[in-house]
Amino acid sequence: MTERRFVLLMLMPAMLFLGLLVVYPVALLVYNSFFDVKLIDPASRVFVGLANYVEALTSKRILESAVRTLKYSVFALFFELVFGLGAALLFAAIARHSHWHRTIFALPLMISPIVAGLLWRFLLVGNIGILNYGLAALGIIPDPGAIKWLSDTDIVIYSVAAADIWLTTSFVALVSYAGLMNIPRDVLEAARIDGTNAINRFWYITLPMLRPVLAVVVVVRGIDALKTFDLIWIQTQGGPRQQSEVLSMNIYQRMVRYGDLGQASATATLFLLVMIGIAGLAYWKIWRADRV
Amino acid sequence: MSDRAPYDLGKVIIHAVALLLVLSYALPYLYLVSTALKPAVDVQQIPPSFFPQRLSLENFTSVIGTVGLPEAFLNSAIVAVLTTLLSLVIAVPAAYVSALYRRRLTMLFMLFALITRMVPAVSLGVPLFQIMKTLGLLDTTIGLVLAHTSTAVPLAMLLMAAFFEGVPKELEEAARVDGCTRFGAFWHIVLPVMPSGIAITALFSFIASWNEFLYALLLTSESSKTAPIVIAEFNSVYGLAWGPMTAAAVLYSLPVILVTLLLQKQIVGGLTFGAVKG
Repeated sequence: MTERRFVLLMLMPAMLFLGLLVVYPVALLVYNSFFDVKLIDPASRVFVGLANYVEALTSKRILESAVRTLKYSVFALFFELVFGLGAALLFAAIARHSHWHRTIFALPLMISPIVAGLLWRFLLVGNIGILNYGLAALGIIPDPGAIKWLSDTDIVIYSVAAADIWLTTSFVALVSYAGLMNIPRDVLEAARIDGTNAINRFWYITLPMLRPVLAVVVVVRGIDALKTFDLIWIQTQGGPRQQSEVLSMNIYQRMVRYGDLGQASATATLFLLVMIGIAGLAYWKIWRADRV
Repeated sequence: MSDRAPYDLGKVIIHAVALLLVLSYALPYLYLVSTALKPAVDVQQIPPSFFPQRLSLENFTSVIGTVGLPEAFLNSAIVAVLTTLLSLVIAVPAAYVSALYRRRLTMLFMLFALITRMVPAVSLGVPLFQIMKTLGLLDTTIGLVLAHTSTAVPLAMLLMAAFFEGVPKELEEAARVDGCTRFGAFWHIVLPVMPSGIAITALFSFIASWNEFLYALLLTSESSKTAPIVIAEFNSVYGLAWGPMTAAAVLYSLPVILVTLLLQKQIVGGLTFGAVKG
């Protein structure tokens, strides 16, 4: 058998499968986005051109959910980086003794977002959420009812991010730790002997050398955060009054509750394009940065 | 070696902070377990207490007795096992040629796998629902397995390709010189030397399916519901039945945590790689 035929044959199952279950659905998605088509009867469809896109781009609810998705992602990512990097630096400072610390940090790595969401809902929920009792006991808030994490429409989108931050800080911490361990000891040691203080060593040596790792973490986690569905769904189902509805959820609701396949497809197509755009840009940047 | 002295104040503070950090990080999950072990009435008491005043397995027995829940766990396991098998069968050969027979086609295909990992599940879920409906596969195990495999295959391909890249090309060439066919070299020579790579890839595929929620929510309704769907439904059907809910969440997540504990090094390695390649 020629090499060419062998390669083709080995790739064939994956190509067929992904063609059928990824490429075809995406094509169907884009196709549907040009029609007025309902979930209950996808056979009867009316071509509407770009009307679904116009509606998607002018709908207040979709626009708000897009902005909310961004707020959520930036908020979650910021704290994941701060906590994760902080933990990694701490572990690196006690490198030989941090084995158990890192083991405990690794435990949530593979936990389902459903469990994290459920757990944090239980910690934050009104009346029996233990977090507020803890804060009240410490004197940080006047009484356990002072902050309504999941029912205050102004803060709910940030409250639901707590579960994400808890779940993913471990990933950021362990990946950053691996990055820190790759920084040559003697570089830091030389700077220390030269009298560079800890803050300057961190700012001028550690952080720049960690940059490629952090860039990858930001891209991977950023994309995950933008796609979030289950973690928020189990906490609030997008409520109260849609104030925690992110883009994934908006598309889901549009399709399942309102049965509006065409409209949901248009929004989902836009979402897909933006995600691939972001990913492409980020990888291009990282790829180029790696090779300069 | 002054900074290794046992009573260095700075070190003591760092150790204390690290310990505090790790404890507070573990606290939420410990509270979940502690709540699950309380009698159901104590779970809703005001103010809540961190530790159970009385221990009880009531929540666990009521969860196991809940109609549909044991079946949902079984469904989850079946779907995850089938997803794992199917994704390995599909992804391993593709990863093999991508790593050992690098050429434009394989590079493009790996790039495609990478891009697939960026696709929001909901964007695929909308048309998949329609496709499964047409094929009569809504609310079936096969339908859900196919959907889960579509996300597991790119992941498995990227992981397996990394493992295959660790295999020296000479191994394959030597087998060929000895008279193996290309496929024989893959099947009889290279595959048998990488059981751990296959095991880790299988584990990642299994857990990806075990944890998956959105496709399960979209594509199942009655007979093939998975565990996370039923756990989420405790919300609506039982009001705020926190006791059984926490018990179900513990049953659902504890196996995953134990596996993580056992295979910590490999999992962190796999995730770190995942971070680097997508």
